[in-house]
Amino acid sequence: MSAALTAPTRVHLTRWVVRLHRPALYLWTALILALAAALLWLAGPLADAAAEAWQRYNACADMGPCAYDQDAILRYKDYYEYATYAVLAVPFLVAAWSGASLIGREVENGTARLAWTQGLSPVRWLATKLALPALLVTVGTGALVALHRHAWVAGDGRIDTAKSWSDFATFYASGPVVVALALTGLVAGALIGLRRASSFGALGGGLCVTAFLWFGIHLLIPHLWSTVTKVTPMAHNVGPSGNGISVTQGVITATGARIADAHCTADTTAQCQAYYADLDAVSWFNDYHPAAHYWPLQWIATGILLAVTALLTVVTFRGLRRRTTTPEGAAV
Amino acid sequence: MSAVTGLPRTVLRLHRTALIVWAAFVLAAVAGLVWLNEITADSARASGSDWAWLDYSEPMGWVSTAMYYSFWAVAAWAGSALIGRELESGTARLAWTQGLSPTRWLAAKLALPALVLVLAGAVFVPVYRWAWSANRDLMGDNWDFGDVFAARGPAVVAYGLCALAVGALAAIVLRRSLPALGVAVAVMISLNVYLEQHREEFWPTVTRTSATEIELPNSASQIENGVLVHGQRNTSVDYWSCDGTAAEMKRCTDDLGITGYWSTFHPQSHFWPMNLVETGILLTITALATAAAFWTLRHRTGAARKESAV
Repeated sequence: MSAALTAPTRVHLTRWVVRLHRPALYLWTALILALAAALLWLAGPLADAAAEAWQRYNACADMGPCAYDQDAILRYKDYYEYATYAVLAVPFLVAAWSGASLIGREVENGTARLAWTQGLSPVRWLATKLALPALLVTVGTGALVALHRHAWVAGDGRIDTAKSWSDFATFYASGPVVVALALTGLVAGALIGLRRASSFGALGGGLCVTAFLWFGIHLLIPHLWSTVTKVTPMAHNVGPSGNGISVTQGVITATGARIADAHCTADTTAQCQAYYADLDAVSWFNDYHPAAHYWPLQWIATGILLAVTALLTVVTFRGLRRRTTTPEGAAV
Repeated sequence: MSAVTGLPRTVLRLHRTALIVWAAFVLAAVAGLVWLNEITADSARASGSDWAWLDYSEPMGWVSTAMYYSFWAVAAWAGSALIGRELESGTARLAWTQGLSPTRWLAAKLALPALVLVLAGAVFVPVYRWAWSANRDLMGDNWDFGDVFAARGPAVVAYGLCALAVGALAAIVLRRSLPALGVAVAVMISLNVYLEQHREEFWPTVTRTSATEIELPNSASQIENGVLVHGQRNTSVDYWSCDGTAAEMKRCTDDLGITGYWSTFHPQSHFWPMNLVETGILLTITALATAAAFWTLRHRTGAARKESAV
């Protein structure tokens, strides 16, 4: 009996969520389609034109005039930057909408309470409200991230001014971390939305929690996988080598001691030269993540964020259940 | 009499959290500027290492950036919490039945936040002007950077006031809190991007021509430069690819037909006129948006009253 009844009810509830948030659904679809089109354009014609311009530029003689399409290079650079920041804004958009519109508004004006009296338990109400958005956020953000990665690969090695994989904006916009962050934003918005009496406060709170967790994972990421160490003799006179996400840099002295030094990154100034001579430094060291660490770092960070999101989800549901059952208990 | 003092008090009580958050933000910004210039600057200079100046210049940049873009938050708040929420939930309508006309209601809702924004600007802008010029040797920015340009003059306050008016108008037109928030923020971001791209055109530039290459002072904000080919301005000849000894350079530039150089720029003395022009544009938009908000509100509530009277 219950199986026969729950199936149609679930369909009905999903339809109800869709109808209530139709403008948001349209906006989300339009945003994903527009950004996806922009990223495809970036990966195709824009990247090709910029790569060709760089090829021409590099073929030019050192002296004399050089004819190349500088505008194509700048256009790729500008549009890449806009597209990257647009992808990075997605978790915040989701958090703001979740806090203010999906949950906060209904709590503020009391329609949530009304719904709970209509045979829909608070827990089912929240589960329905979160399930479909979570699916759409995962699919939409996942598609954007994949296309951003595609656009980055299209420029890598062909466009001299293309961003490195370790550029933080690029790192986040082209990996699964940002998908997990969007889901974190969704749950964070709901968590605050259920606790704050005003939808604007919930919006601000959801944004703050998302920003805070992003900052936290940003500090954590370099330490999630063991680093590679590259040692370069001091004679190179150019500072430590090794490209990627650097964790610790410094010098190794004649006795073999490692001295991490955040400030003098090369012995270019007289002060730094004297400083290193005093230390009896013989070589540079650089503990860093090369490009091969890209996927391990991405997936571990994604896993941590998903675990945090799961925890926040549990807290949200438990908080809701406690709040909605206490008054009845008090009435008894 | 009691209504005159009572109304602002109601607005203050209703939006106490927002006022506290805003006051904390402005005070933190001012305290940060004082700390950076009195403590951090000296220790950065004393440490003598390559990158110590970043300890000073990076947080300095954060302060001006945060204050510059605070109008995003003002637009969001004005569109949703200040006006949108009351129209959506109907508490505005309730207030209008309590002897408070819609016009007075809106006037009180806008006047107090506007006053708070102006007061915050009156405190922040002078402190920032002092802080920005106190340790120039540790900074890598220039007066024409977007955030610095706005924060060193009244433009930063005008952005806040404009965001307030645009938020209120969006809320009154849409009568719903979240769409009003989205529209207000989107309008303000577009306006800001437009003004930032065109601010150099709002005041005549200075053009210098010379037979030799032009060295502008570091503080000059260069707009465009190029070479004179047989006396005509040209931006597409890449004379910078000429290299080598003086004689080689001369032959290379002669081959290209270069007879001189030109450069158009804004000297630092253009800061005030440019900042005031932008402030003027923003305040004009603020006035128009405010007028439109009052007109729409009166039109709607007036029509409703006539209907109900019939």
